[in-house]
Amino acid sequence: MNKTEKERIIEEEQKDASPVIIQLGIFAAVLFVSNILSLIMPKAFPVPVPVWGLIILYVLLTTHVVKLHQVEKLSGFLIGIIGVFFVPSGIQMYKSLDLIKEDGLTLFIAIIASTIVLLITVTFTTRLFISISKKIRNRRK
Amino acid sequence: MQFINNTFFGIFVSVVVYLIGLYLFNRFNNFFLFQPLFVGMVLGIFVLWVLEQTMGVSSTIIYDAFWHGGKDNFIGANLLFWFLGPATISFAIPLYKRNDIVKDYWVEILLSLIVGLFISLIIIYFICRALNLSDSVIASLLPQSATTAIALPLSTGIGGIPAITAMTVILNSVIVLAIGDQIVKWLKLDADPIGVGLGLGTSGHTIGSAKAVKLGSIEGAMASIAVIVVGIVTNIVVPLFARLIGLK
Repeated sequence: MNKTEKERIIEEEQKDASPVIIQLGIFAAVLFVSNILSLIMPKAFPVPVPVWGLIILYVLLTTHVVKLHQVEKLSGFLIGIIGVFFVPSGIQMYKSLDLIKEDGLTLFIAIIASTIVLLITVTFTTRLFISISKKIRNRRK
Repeated sequence: MQFINNTFFGIFVSVVVYLIGLYLFNRFNNFFLFQPLFVGMVLGIFVLWVLEQTMGVSSTIIYDAFWHGGKDNFIGANLLFWFLGPATISFAIPLYKRNDIVKDYWVEILLSLIVGLFISLIIIYFICRALNLSDSVIASLLPQSATTAIALPLSTGIGGIPAITAMTVILNSVIVLAIGDQIVKWLKLDADPIGVGLGLGTSGHTIGSAKAVKLGSIEGAMASIAVIVVGIVTNIVVPLFARLIGLK
């Protein structure tokens, strides 16, 4: 990223936030288009609506069609209370209590272990790759 | 019975149990078992279970009342759930703010996610075998790195049980939120913010990304990119891996 773009982000950040209704409008528009894109994807290769939305909003920001001050406040608010939005999904497991009854403990151990494996493996692999690439970059200099 | 057939029943229960969790979390110095989401989830399930026992109705009736306000209504706790969509696209903002990292390291990011995911699948497979889990349970656990909308059809496709996959994806988030950053610190992997971000985003999905955003701007941006890339990579890698180990 060149300096002007970095400055641009800082500049966009310092502007007064757009009214909530405009921020909502942008979100609604992005989600509406995402929904259509998600519907036309082949069934064998589903890309969920929120993932499409994330990509679209990111592209809009990168191309400066949408400015940071037009979406930042709403997004900060939503990310800040995302925990509450997730509670119903957690309580949803009430429906699957029968599944856990059979070999619940083993399944539970497997889930905890695999979560930790994912976390550690990806973090470690990235660290390895980044440190290798940094060495290569330094040598080029 | 009447009082739970109410659009606000599910929303009320979800918010109150979360607030209790938040209170306990602050009261006990952020002890990881009192993570608001975890407390809220357990308490919420307990509340529904108690209602089921005392009212003598089936769990489906209680669940429907919780989820969409009973048979006459469409909105209940699913309203809160709906907001996960707008909240997920919000991660475009932390991602855009660290566009410098994305531009410098996108090759490394993509490679790390693909390779990391593949190695994870192998390790997860052997853990499951060691625990003597059946093929269908293993197939249910393999797609867990993707979000629910991707993981469920994948799981069905390779002979898994979608309900177990759904539960796994939810637990991923809760576990990463509770102990994700501690694990990274214990193993001294926290020196590289790019790695931490990608790890949290891959294992904890959107909730892991929310945690990453709190850790720092690079972590937040990297977790956001992980949510996008891992979903798509899982779509391709998991069916291949399943065929490789002869699941289906």
